[in-house]
Amino acid sequence: MSKTIVGLVLGLVLGVALAVMAAWNMAGGLMFEEHTSPFTVEETVARIQQNIQAAGNSWSLTGLRYPARPVEAEGGNVLPVILIEACSTKYSGPILKDDKVRFLSLLMPCKIGVYKKNDGKTYIGIMNVGLLSRLFGSSVGEIMSHVVKDQASFLVMDPTKPAPPLILPKTGGEGGGAAGGAAGGC
Amino acid sequence: MRLQRTLLTAGLLCAAFFMHAAQALPSLDDKLAPPKSTADHSKFKELQQVFKTGPDVTKACLACHTDAAKQVQHTKHWTWEVIDPKSGQKLGKKNIINNFCTSTVSNEKDCMACHAGYGWEDKSFDFSKEESVDCLICHDSTGTYRKLPGDAGHPIYERKEFPHGSGKFVEAVDLQKVAQKVALPSRANCGSCHFFGAGGDGTKHGDLDSSLRNPPKFIDVHMDAKGLNFTCVNCHKTSSHLVAGSRYEFDAARTGKPQPQGKFDASPVACQACHGDKPHKESLLHAERLNAHTDTLACQTCHIPEYARSSVGTEKVWDWSTATTMGPDGKPQVVKDSAGRRAFDSKKGNFAWDSYLIPEYRWFNGKVSFKTIGDKIDPSKTVEINHPEGSPNAAGARIWPFKVHRGKQAYDPENNNLVIAHTAGEDETALWQNFDWSKAIKTGMETVGLPWSGKHGFVSTEMSWPITHMVAPKGDALSCAQCHGANSRMAGMQGIYLPGVHKNEWLDLAGWVATVLALLGVLIHGGLRMCMFRNCNNAGEGK
Repeated sequence: MSKTIVGLVLGLVLGVALAVMAAWNMAGGLMFEEHTSPFTVEETVARIQQNIQAAGNSWSLTGLRYPARPVEAEGGNVLPVILIEACSTKYSGPILKDDKVRFLSLLMPCKIGVYKKNDGKTYIGIMNVGLLSRLFGSSVGEIMSHVVKDQASFLVMDPTKPAPPLILPKTGGEGGGAAGGAAGGC
Repeated sequence: MRLQRTLLTAGLLCAAFFMHAAQALPSLDDKLAPPKSTADHSKFKELQQVFKTGPDVTKACLACHTDAAKQVQHTKHWTWEVIDPKSGQKLGKKNIINNFCTSTVSNEKDCMACHAGYGWEDKSFDFSKEESVDCLICHDSTGTYRKLPGDAGHPIYERKEFPHGSGKFVEAVDLQKVAQKVALPSRANCGSCHFFGAGGDGTKHGDLDSSLRNPPKFIDVHMDAKGLNFTCVNCHKTSSHLVAGSRYEFDAARTGKPQPQGKFDASPVACQACHGDKPHKESLLHAERLNAHTDTLACQTCHIPEYARSSVGTEKVWDWSTATTMGPDGKPQVVKDSAGRRAFDSKKGNFAWDSYLIPEYRWFNGKVSFKTIGDKIDPSKTVEINHPEGSPNAAGARIWPFKVHRGKQAYDPENNNLVIAHTAGEDETALWQNFDWSKAIKTGMETVGLPWSGKHGFVSTEMSWPITHMVAPKGDALSCAQCHGANSRMAGMQGIYLPGVHKNEWLDLAGWVATVLALLGVLIHGGLRMCMFRNCNNAGEGK
């Protein structure tokens, strides 16, 4: 009898440990999403920028960063990576006003990474805002649900439409570590 | 406070004075450093005159360098012709068709902006005339010498608008100034043509573009402007104006030890000339493993992980079939892509560009077979305009990285050959003037002396360019997993067993058997040890 109980407890502990390990391994993947793009890195960025500008809800482009450039400046090679920064004051305002969740300013502005991988394809990396929003209470969750919707619309690209030009920020924001972007947003 | 301000102002004024003086006077280093050349050409009487034309400058050059033109006239840079020693086939820009601008024939006035000569307008050009050799295109050190399409290789003699109708103007070249400042060719000299092949920066080669004028280390470890700062002629060693190394005479699999500079018995353009064929010197086992790869791979395969590694990019596709399509207003249209590169031009058709491209890999022994003007094609298949030869088991073949440029271009569906189209020019039949394929092809085919059925279609073509420039720092060479994996860049490579890519059932079975046996061995060994341990303990308790 005692052997059976010990076996059950051991089995339970082992099961919980395995579940925690599985969750730990999957957590990283759940926090971010990756999509492929049929376009070049520049065209993907330009199409997303165009979508952001057309999204309404106070969305604006706040910067464009090239994280590979500082690496290249030191003599290293990195496949192209461009970070699009965008912000909506409509959504950022209430969060920034609330002391309890003000630390979420760390996630501002919203970032979308566009990069090439060794298979030669272009990828889009975004944060899983939907999952994150569930972790910070109902008011944040409500705001973030709109962000999730808008973010999905940023990634809709119609290949029949001509490639728009890349929108380069007027000041700053181009360096890998350089400060902020152009006017508007957060 | 006032005293402090006065002192500060005085200090600033002094600093400004000394900075100005330092700029105005030659630095101490300049005074002490010996001049790079043994001759100051500005002191030569022959060059102290006003030159009206390029040939006038050449005449002055030849007064001292009496045999220079004769030497140049024996080179590809002058003849634009190469005879393949193996097949006897006439190659070179004069004879081959490519899938960019397609052909120089009937378009000489434009194309000869990159000829090392003056006045090649048509087939009547006199290749023996010495003053027609252009010395300055390779020896200008001022960066002001410029030749434009449409002038048959002459530099700009009068300020002119370029491109026509753009509102941008190019100044006339000061030939006297350029002639007095001649020097050994720099990257910019060679690059004035080779970076801009096919009519635009980076268009043709993929591993040659204007980023190599003053490249940072990550683009090319040898040409790194703040490092080794190699010029083209450091590797493309030149003798009697013959520039070593060309895509027509490719050393694809050089072997042997490195040879000291200056004592080369063969072309130094191959990496192995300086590095040897066993160049890796890291820890013994790792180096041995890497060195074993050199029998199979070209150095470039690992050390140029991507080409067109700058924002310049390179052209991947040129589709001529959409040329002559006008914009919505019925006028010629030019469209750029998101990166500002050409995407469509009513004169030329559609283009696709990209940068940081993963090469395509092929076996290559250095020989390339070409389609030349008039050769038959099979329009039901993609026409390989040039074919890199070499098979997995052939001696001297290695796996090389290539840029493959794909396109669609005009052909004659009855005679089954690629056609010559008269594209450039200001006459009635030039495609870029009248947007009429029939007129352009008729003139082109008449110029080259080939029959044309009067019909044309468009056929898919591809052209392969071995990648050999833009060598990355060694830390950025390909890692094992980038080639040895099921979805790696070598996944499609045939004719060689690549661990991680290919499978051999017997080898896999042997591996599994060895693994299972090893596991069994461990279990049996461990089991026996446990049994023996228990037996010993039981025996002890029994006592």
